[in-house]
Amino acid sequence: MINHETEVKLQACLDGELSPGEATTLETLIAGDPDARSLFEELRATRTLLAGNELDLKLPDTREFYWSKIRRQIELEERRTPAGDGPKPVSAPWVRFLTPAGALAALVVLVVIALKNSDASPSELALEDSHEIETPLEETSSFSFRSEAAAMTVVWVDSHRE
Amino acid sequence: MKKLVPFRQLAEAAAVFFLAYACAVRSATADLNLRAQLVWGTNNDKPDDPKLTEVDQQVKEKLRGVFKWKNYFEVNRQSFTVIASAPKKVRMSDLCEIEVQNLGNSSVELKLYGKGKMVVRKTQKIKSGELLVLAGDDKNDTAWFVVLSLIER
Repeated sequence: MINHETEVKLQACLDGELSPGEATTLETLIAGDPDARSLFEELRATRTLLAGNELDLKLPDTREFYWSKIRRQIELEERRTPAGDGPKPVSAPWVRFLTPAGALAALVVLVVIALKNSDASPSELALEDSHEIETPLEETSSFSFRSEAAAMTVVWVDSHRE
Repeated sequence: MKKLVPFRQLAEAAAVFFLAYACAVRSATADLNLRAQLVWGTNNDKPDDPKLTEVDQQVKEKLRGVFKWKNYFEVNRQSFTVIASAPKKVRMSDLCEIEVQNLGNSSVELKLYGKGKMVVRKTQKIKSGELLVLAGDDKNDTAWFVVLSLIER
């Protein structure tokens, strides 16, 4: 009778998993023990039958095509999220352009308003005809009127001449 | 890390704005180049006085459009510059003097002196192509006019 450990070693010997020293020891045992020899032969026969009658598993795609599909999928994923770049804000390009452009436009508007209110240029039309009039002498009076047609402002001084 | 707000560009834009505003403020108190004309209005023909000349056509047309007199003669003409810091006195005749002060923003204060006394003071915005006229009646149904205008350079 052989023990369970010996049975496992016999299977390991068939699978080529024993060291050379262990294989030699086991071969000696097989040669001297009929039970060990019988079991060894039985295991070898079973192994041969199984290997010779294994069903072939056929894949729907060839090996090259199957692995090329996997490679293409990996490349697609890499194109979608390039390596090393973090998520970018969607608005970054137009913000970089519009912020200084908007500031410049606002400044232009402010300058135009300032120039218009200051009425700097003599050639510009005046917005308002603010005026004051004073006639200090008692014997005179005055009144003012404007002729838009003649583009003229008149102050008439009345000396109460008789 | 990318900046969302371009502070450098805004600082440069602010500097440009202040420079432009400074120029605008400076130009608002620019010197005024003025012309003053003492004009005599009458319905009579031109008297035999060599000092009197026909007033220029543009002024004549404007005066005719407002006043009743037919003929206008220039007694005196003075061109001068008024700076913001100092009023300018201009003698128009032996009895008539004007004083002009530049108030900035194309505004002037015009004082008329007759026989040394201030007769009238007027503050007015003066525009290119327009006239500021001080006027009054004179003897024999005539009239005097002091016409102030901006000289375009």
